[in-house]
Amino acid sequence: MGSRLSLILVIFFFAATLIVAVYLRGANHRAFYTLRTYKIEQGRLQQDLWQKQLRVESLINPASIWRRLEE
Amino acid sequence: MQSADAGKEVRGRAVSTRNDRQLKTIVVVMSLVIVAFFALAGRCVYLQRNLADYYAEKCMIQQRAYLPLEPQRGAILDTRGRLLAASHQIRTIFAEPRIIQDPKETATRLAPVLDMGAHEICKLIVDSSNPGYVSLKKDATVAQSEAARQVYGVGIEYDWRRQYPMGRLAAHIVGFTSRDNYGLAGIEYTFDRDLRGRGAKHTFLVDVKRRPLALCLGEEQDDNDMPIHGAGIILTLDATIQQFTREALYAQYKEFEAESAVAMVADPYTGEILAMVTLPDFDPAESAQIAQKQPELFTNRLLTDQYEPGSIIKPVVAAIALDTKVMNRYETIFCENGNYHGKGFGRIGEYRRGFGDLTLREILMNSSNIGMAKIGQRLGATRLYEGLTLFGFGRKVGVELPGEAEGLLRPPGQWTGYSVTRIPFGQEISVTGLQMLRAFCMLANGGHLVHPYIVKSLVRSDGMVVDMRPSTLRVGYVIKPDVAKWVVQDAMTAVVNERNGTGSRAKLAKWTVFGKTGTAQIAKDGVYLDKAYVASFIAGAPASNPRVVVLISIRRPNVALKKGYTGGTVAAPVAATILEKTLTYLGVPSEGTPEAAAAIAARRAQPYSEDENSW
Repeated sequence: MGSRLSLILVIFFFAATLIVAVYLRGANHRAFYTLRTYKIEQGRLQQDLWQKQLRVESLINPASIWRRLEE
Repeated sequence: MQSADAGKEVRGRAVSTRNDRQLKTIVVVMSLVIVAFFALAGRCVYLQRNLADYYAEKCMIQQRAYLPLEPQRGAILDTRGRLLAASHQIRTIFAEPRIIQDPKETATRLAPVLDMGAHEICKLIVDSSNPGYVSLKKDATVAQSEAARQVYGVGIEYDWRRQYPMGRLAAHIVGFTSRDNYGLAGIEYTFDRDLRGRGAKHTFLVDVKRRPLALCLGEEQDDNDMPIHGAGIILTLDATIQQFTREALYAQYKEFEAESAVAMVADPYTGEILAMVTLPDFDPAESAQIAQKQPELFTNRLLTDQYEPGSIIKPVVAAIALDTKVMNRYETIFCENGNYHGKGFGRIGEYRRGFGDLTLREILMNSSNIGMAKIGQRLGATRLYEGLTLFGFGRKVGVELPGEAEGLLRPPGQWTGYSVTRIPFGQEISVTGLQMLRAFCMLANGGHLVHPYIVKSLVRSDGMVVDMRPSTLRVGYVIKPDVAKWVVQDAMTAVVNERNGTGSRAKLAKWTVFGKTGTAQIAKDGVYLDKAYVASFIAGAPASNPRVVVLISIRRPNVALKKGYTGGTVAAPVAATILEKTLTYLGVPSEGTPEAAAAIAARRAQPYSEDENSW
């Protein structure tokens, strides 16, 4: 009776370990996917900011100021 | 008993028969299993030996996705950190026609997203010559990209676009790039490798929906590095001074309906080029169209155009004569009342009127050709050639821009009898604007050799700054400092500040300007053209401690306008405007004040004392 219980426990823990391992693997993949998504979003925001800076630069540089003064 | 035995025997026979059958079945099944096993083993061996590569590749395609990462091209900035060129990311929405089953439906779904007609989109997809790619919309917004991504067979492509916030202001220096981001002119071309950076490719393990699960490391680890963005380049150019220069030059270029015009501003001590303008110019954003219609607009004439300098070379020859002691500053030369001729050198006249006895100062002030011709005769071919070579004529200056010409200074062995009398007033010698400016920087800084440069530093993507400035170590003089000082502070100051000076239009109230005018005839096929001149003026200020040197050359001002065509009339006012604005902008104190005296003392004490002590 005792040995049968031990066997059930071993099988149970073995199965549980496998399930947890599979879950952790999936969680790792999900985390990676989220990380990449945020990284892309960060790059996009950086580029948006850079584009805005470029727009400001093209408005306040000596050439465009002179052009507007002339107008 | 007998019947019981017989029954047992029958049962025994039946059991035996059943056992035999079972045995046979087992044998057959086992045989089949063994055959199947061997068949499978054979198949495995076959797959492993013959089709391993094929399936490995299929597996790779199925399980992996690749993301190429293009580096961002480095920015080009002026000396105060203002952007002259930079790249920004753009999104292009594209379709893959071969996987789109129903182009009409795809087009209908995309039409409101892309703000285009469904018919137009459908036509693009159906008529595409490339079954794998057709561009639908360039420079799409984030919202458009996200919405378009949901449609099957449509993807987003990221690319870089080069932008020039200052437009044509520094077009000849900054240059431009091709559509695939390769530098084609100017700094963009010279520093293309540094600006471009290095791309990378990321390899991902993906799920069935092609979502990245993990980065594939191992043998492909090198590929998974981050891209190295291009280095930024900081120039010595100051956009404000560039604007002053362009604005003043452009007004005169239009006023005199000239063929072309160039101007350059430099620091005579360090060789920093603060402004460099060539007219006509171009907008780098339209370089592709200009390349087809007017490619000559791309020419940076300060570097590529070689011309006879005319009288602006006279101070250089005068300095050589004083330095080699073939004459002193007090003796007079008889200028033949404007008509000098002799065997072997033909006839030489003056531009305006004849002169009698003139000192060297008066020769420069009145720009006497005969006086200079006689100085050339005193110097002789060898000394004149060596002196001009020391000032850098006949070889490239080596500025970091493409297409620089060497100019033309023939060796004395090839000189004719005319050469020694013509070169001193700027004929039979070809120079570039840059060479001329360099020579004047040497006069203005007290006779030191100077190396003009335009790239100050390079900032790598990891933040490391590479100083690109040439060494300012002083190893000697091209001419003696007292000779340079006299030419600048006495002779060339007289050209501008005395009543009869040819450059009086460049005079300023706040600062003492020194300079020299030049009006050179343009030669074509060995003949001087009628009414075709290059009007030049080269100047600097303040004379006591020059902060900037300016060169102006205006090619072929329209003589028919009767407004003038000489350097003193056409070019000198431009130099005055540039000098006045630049010196005010740089905060140079007016001369004669205590601040000016302090600035002169500080300037002389500061930059080169350490280097001078070391030699």
